[in-house]
Amino acid sequence: MAHRLRKLAATARLSAAQLRHEIGRSVLVIVAIALAVLAVTLLAGLGLGVLETGQDRFDEADQDVWISGGAVELTAGGGMENPIADSHQLAADVEEREDVQSASPIAFHAIYVGTEPEPSELELVSGVGVPGEHGGLTLEEGDGFSEGDVHYGEGDYDGPMTREVIVDPRMAERFDLEVGDTIYVGTSPSTAAEEEFTVVGISSSYSQFLGTTTATMPLSELQEIAGTTGSDRAAFVTATVASGANRGAVSDEIQEAHPEYDVRTSEEQFESMFEDQVLLLASGTALVVLAVVAGVVLTVNLLALVASRQRGELAALRALGLSRWLLTGIIGGQGIVLGLCGGLLGLLATPPAAFALNHLAASLVGFENLLRTPPIVYLAGGAIAVVVGTLGAAVAGWRTSRYARLEHLAE
Amino acid sequence: MASESSARSDARVSPGRSVTIRCDGVIHEYDGRSGWIGSGSDRSVTALEDVSLEIETGEVVGLIGPSGSGKSTVLHVLAGLIVPDDGTVELLEDDLTACSERERTRLRRERVGLVFQQFHLLPSLTAVANVALPLVQLGYSRAERRRRAERRLEQVGLGDRTTHRPGELSGGERQRVAIARALVTDPDVILADEPTGELDTETGMAVLDDLVDAAAERTVVLATHDERAVDRTERAISLLDGAVVDDGR
Repeated sequence: MAHRLRKLAATARLSAAQLRHEIGRSVLVIVAIALAVLAVTLLAGLGLGVLETGQDRFDEADQDVWISGGAVELTAGGGMENPIADSHQLAADVEEREDVQSASPIAFHAIYVGTEPEPSELELVSGVGVPGEHGGLTLEEGDGFSEGDVHYGEGDYDGPMTREVIVDPRMAERFDLEVGDTIYVGTSPSTAAEEEFTVVGISSSYSQFLGTTTATMPLSELQEIAGTTGSDRAAFVTATVASGANRGAVSDEIQEAHPEYDVRTSEEQFESMFEDQVLLLASGTALVVLAVVAGVVLTVNLLALVASRQRGELAALRALGLSRWLLTGIIGGQGIVLGLCGGLLGLLATPPAAFALNHLAASLVGFENLLRTPPIVYLAGGAIAVVVGTLGAAVAGWRTSRYARLEHLAE
Repeated sequence: MASESSARSDARVSPGRSVTIRCDGVIHEYDGRSGWIGSGSDRSVTALEDVSLEIETGEVVGLIGPSGSGKSTVLHVLAGLIVPDDGTVELLEDDLTACSERERTRLRRERVGLVFQQFHLLPSLTAVANVALPLVQLGYSRAERRRRAERRLEQVGLGDRTTHRPGELSGGERQRVAIARALVTDPDVILADEPTGELDTETGMAVLDDLVDAAAERTVVLATHDERAVDRTERAISLLDGAVVDDGR
C-alpha cells in the first residue's frame, strides 16, 4: 500500500513538474477549463434563476387559467401580439362559469412615454392594460388606480377616462417621476402629445413579468389610445378558479368550449412560454457545449504535444523498465491536474461573476437575483472540469502508451 | 582515467568467470512491409544472422561494426527489447526468448541499466529527478530516491549539477546524467548504445571512461562504431551484415 502511495505521489509530482515546464501553455489550458466551468455554472445558474423567477411571477399573478391566441411573443417595439378579439366578452363568458371566480383580459402595446410632449423626448416602452383596480400589481409607491377600468362602461367605451398610469421603478428613475406627476402617453410620438396621464403608483410587477420597462393603465384606456376598441383586443384572458375547483379540469373545459384559443393552467402557460424560446435555449446550450469542447481541445492538444515531443524519452523510460501505467500516469496525470486547477478557478470565479451579472441584470431589466447558484450549479461546474481533465488524461495516456515503444527510441 | 580503466580491465580478464550473457544462433528479421494496411511489398531485412556470443560477468565488451551491421539490434536483443525470430538469449541465467514481456521488463528494471545515444532525459526534470526516475517504479521513498540519485551523480562528477535541467547541461554532462540513471538501480549489466555518438571525441572518451569506471565490476556491453572507444573495452566483438565476424577472443 505504502509502495503504491509513494508511486502515486511521485507520479503527481512528476506531472506537476511537467506542467511547470510548460507554464505558458498550462496557464492557457487552465484558463480555458475555468471558462468552460464558468460557462456551465453561469448559464445553469441563469437557467435556474429564470425558471424560478418566472415561476415566482406566475405565482404572484395569482391566475389559475390562461387563455391566449397562440404563441406569446414580444414585438420589436416592446408590445405583444393581441390576438384575442372581444376579450371583455370572452372574459365575461368564462366568468359565468360556476367554477370560475373571476376572469379578465390583459393587453400589451408598445407605447411612447415622456414628461415632455415633444416627440424627441419620448421613449418606447411596453404598455400594459389591466382590468380592475390594480390588476394584481404590488405597489411600491402610491395608491394605484382610483376607479379601475371605468372607461369600458357597458362595452361602448363611453365611460370617463381616468388617465391614470402606474410606472415601473426604472421609468420613474429615468424620467424622475413621482406619484402625482404627469406624463404623455401614445402609440406614436405624434399622438402622445395629446394624451396626458397622471402617475398614481410605482410598481415593478409587470416589468419583472415582461423583462422590459412598463407603463400600466386601465385596459380600456390602453385600447383607446391604441385604437383597438373596435375589436376589443387582448393578449390574454386570465381566470382564477373558484375555491375547491380543479384548475386542470376547468382549463380543459374552457378549452373545449373555446377551441379557437389555447387554454392552459398557469404551470402549462409558464412552460409554453419557455418552449417558445427554444432558439434562446439552444443558443445557451450551444455556448456551453462550445466552451466545454474548447476546454477539451486545448487540454488534449497540450498533452498530446507534450507526449509527442517526449516520445523518445518515453520510449527510453519504458526500455529502462518503467511501466506503461507509470508513464501514462505522468503524462495523463497532467490532465487531472489541469482539470482540477481549471475547475477550482472556474468555481472560485463563479460567485463574483454571478454577482456582477445579477447587478447588470437588475440595472438592465429590473430582475433582482436572476442568476442563482445553488450547490447543484457548482456540482455541474465541477463535473465539467472532471470530464475535461479526464478526457485530456485519457487521450494523453493513449498517446503515451503509443509512444512508449522501442521504435521511438531513435527519435 | 583511460589508463586506470585499462588497468582495471586487465585485472578483470580472468579465466573461470561465470557467463552473464549468452546468445546462441540468434536470427532476426525486421518486417519491412509498408502501405496503408501493411499489405505493400514485403521488404523484410535480415538484421541478425546466426549470432552466437558469450559475455562473462564483469567483462567490458565492445560491439563494433559499421552502420547497419546489427550492433543496436544485438543490444536490443540482449536487453529483451526485441525477441529474436530464432535462437536463444540468456541474460543473468534467464532465457529471454521464453520470458513474457512483463518478465523481461521486470528484469531490465531490476538488473539492467541502459544508456542511449540521444540521452533521452526528460527536459522538465532536474538532473537528480531524471536519475531518480527508475527508482519511482521500484517504490523507493522520495528521500531514498534523492539520496541514491545524488550519489550516482557525484560518481559521474556531477555532484554540483544536481538541480540543473538537461537544457542547462552540456552534451557530455547530459550523457553522464544518463549514465547515472542507468546505474541508479544498481544493475548487474549495463548496455550502452552509441553513448558517444552525440559527443565530440574528447568528451566522448571522457564519458566512456566515466561509464566504465562507474560500472565497476558490472558487465558492460557497448555498441559503437567509434574504433577509439574499443580501447576502453576488454574485448571487441565485430559485426558485419548482422553476423559476428570476430568475437575478440
